[in-house]
Amino acid sequence: MIKMINMIKMINMTTSIHSAQSCRRWLAVMACAMSFAGLSAISGQQEKVRPLIAVIPKGTTHEFWKTVHAGALKGASEAGVDILWKGPAREDDRDDQIKVVESAVSRQVQGIVIAPLDEQALVPSLKEAAVAKIPVVIFDSGIKWDGRASFVATDNRRGGVLAAEEMGRILAGKGRIVVMRYVEGSASTALREDGFLATIKEKFPGIVIVSSDQYGGATVDSAYRVAENLLNRFADLNGMYAPNEPTTYASMKALKDLGRGTSVHLVGFDASEKLVAGLRDGSVDALVVQNPFRMGELAVTTMAKVIRGETVQRDVDTGCTLVTRHNIDEPAIRAVLEPPIAQWLK
Amino acid sequence: MNALKRLVGPTAALCAVVLVFSVIAPESFCTFQNVRTLSAQSVVVVLGAIGMTFVVVGGGIDLSVGSVIALSSVATALMIRSGFGSGAACLVGCVVGLAIGCINGFLVASARLPAFIATLGTMGIARGLAKWLAGQSTVYPPEEWTSSLMAKNPDPSWMLFAPGVWLTIAVAIAFGFILSRTVFGAWVTAIGSNESAARLCGVPVARVRWSTYALCGLLAGVAGVLQFHRLSSGDPTTATGKELEVIAAVVIGGAALSGGFGTVGGSIVGAILMAVLANGCNLVDWNSLGRWGVSAEVAETLTTWFGSSGIPNYVQEILVGAVIVVAALADRRRHR
Repeated sequence: MIKMINMIKMINMTTSIHSAQSCRRWLAVMACAMSFAGLSAISGQQEKVRPLIAVIPKGTTHEFWKTVHAGALKGASEAGVDILWKGPAREDDRDDQIKVVESAVSRQVQGIVIAPLDEQALVPSLKEAAVAKIPVVIFDSGIKWDGRASFVATDNRRGGVLAAEEMGRILAGKGRIVVMRYVEGSASTALREDGFLATIKEKFPGIVIVSSDQYGGATVDSAYRVAENLLNRFADLNGMYAPNEPTTYASMKALKDLGRGTSVHLVGFDASEKLVAGLRDGSVDALVVQNPFRMGELAVTTMAKVIRGETVQRDVDTGCTLVTRHNIDEPAIRAVLEPPIAQWLK
Repeated sequence: MNALKRLVGPTAALCAVVLVFSVIAPESFCTFQNVRTLSAQSVVVVLGAIGMTFVVVGGGIDLSVGSVIALSSVATALMIRSGFGSGAACLVGCVVGLAIGCINGFLVASARLPAFIATLGTMGIARGLAKWLAGQSTVYPPEEWTSSLMAKNPDPSWMLFAPGVWLTIAVAIAFGFILSRTVFGAWVTAIGSNESAARLCGVPVARVRWSTYALCGLLAGVAGVLQFHRLSSGDPTTATGKELEVIAAVVIGGAALSGGFGTVGGSIVGAILMAVLANGCNLVDWNSLGRWGVSAEVAETLTTWFGSSGIPNYVQEILVGAVIVVAALADRRRHR
């Protein structure tokens, strides 16, 4: 017990020394800032400080988010703001993303632009941001909170409908298919799955969905294993649908490795270099492609408008396109598939 | 006094890290709000580490902690959703943790399985149970009176920290006392340092070992209840790999993985050290280094190396890994 108390005493002493120091430092910084503000007010010249916006993706490793990052950088340079790009280390770690939001609030950024990993778990920390008078723009995935300034996203349900219509066309309205879901609780992919399932049921009664309850998980590795298992379980499949980049890539790889690429038609979501190559060599039949570059750009420019006090739309649709081997070389499609990432990301 | 001496290393490391971040990120790191945030961020690992200290000191290991946190948070969420009061729900969350802990205790102490294998098994079982109970999705219960358990700005503002933080402090003091000042604590240490000698001295080895696992499970259950309140949803995939973070905290805190030594205080310092590293790395702003006489070129170089968003995640992982290795090395030197 005495040891414990001693230890606590030690910690207390050290922290109090720190806080005394930091108080002094704080005062100095505050004084500097105030005199600075005073000076610029007197001279009548507003010192131009670029607002800092925290842009928080769901993850940083997938190519999709790199494209969003490039778009966000373009948006930042257009709108004259600086961005702080920081995401959770793992794509399904809600706790990690909450920590990133908390540190953005601690850093007193002027705005938070976030793609929430979960429609509910992020709400308390975003509410705290709102209490600290930091405006919030949601992008990519929805959230159960109406305190946002704007929601910038693909109409995901419509994307699922597009995919289902293409699947119906490829299979001529007949066959057995599986739907591999992404992660439990991810709103954007759930809408793509629901839109797909509803359209198949409604418009193509000849198509049987043999499985739609398997979740691929957040990594390519786990999705690959689920895809393998699904393919081994159902020997007579005609089609497969995956609702985002890692699940589509995992499905493509599993189909190739198990030699089922010719018999099973794959309709996927999102694009990456590997998936576009797959589209060209026929291992992917069609991809519903969002415009992540434009999403990043619009999310940041919308936030810049909010900071400047302009009115913004509550919902901004960034659109999605169906890409097949036949239309892949059209200029409009190319612009979506090959956004100028290298120009913005070193 | 040997125990106190052992605390010097981890505590000094913690102070050094705090000092470094106070210097390079003063505006955001040294604020009361950030201390509140940090405390709320670290309670789950701290609670897990307290329980794990007992298991490790007793010469064992518990890999099921992360999964138990998930299972307990899902159980709590489900209970609230089906209309039970949230007090009862929290209790069920803790009991679920205790139950898994008892199973671990049975497998290791009575069935004499190696702890690593037994808890590896329950780790999978608990994770699978959590996913099954939650219907493979996240459970979203309505708000209840315990919702503010992890609120960083607690309602009566004199509380300063989230109620969950106070709960953790109380648990820490109680269990620190039990490990270092009671007969039970001495027994745990005895079976960890020399099991046969302890048995010859009349220590009820199986029962004591059993209790350490039960205790670890119970505290993981409490951690799960708090994790649920932090996420305001019962997520069956939460806290994956948390057991490793918890074990790392115990090792950084100076406990010997071979058993026989470790302190609750040390493990808490270890857990806070890791939380501070993660939190501080997120807050670093290279451009603010200028006020400490760092030239603009150096700040520029740091920005080109690491980007403008502070210290990236991979550097954090390398740092935490390095801290673990250093802690283990220090432990080895002491034993030579």
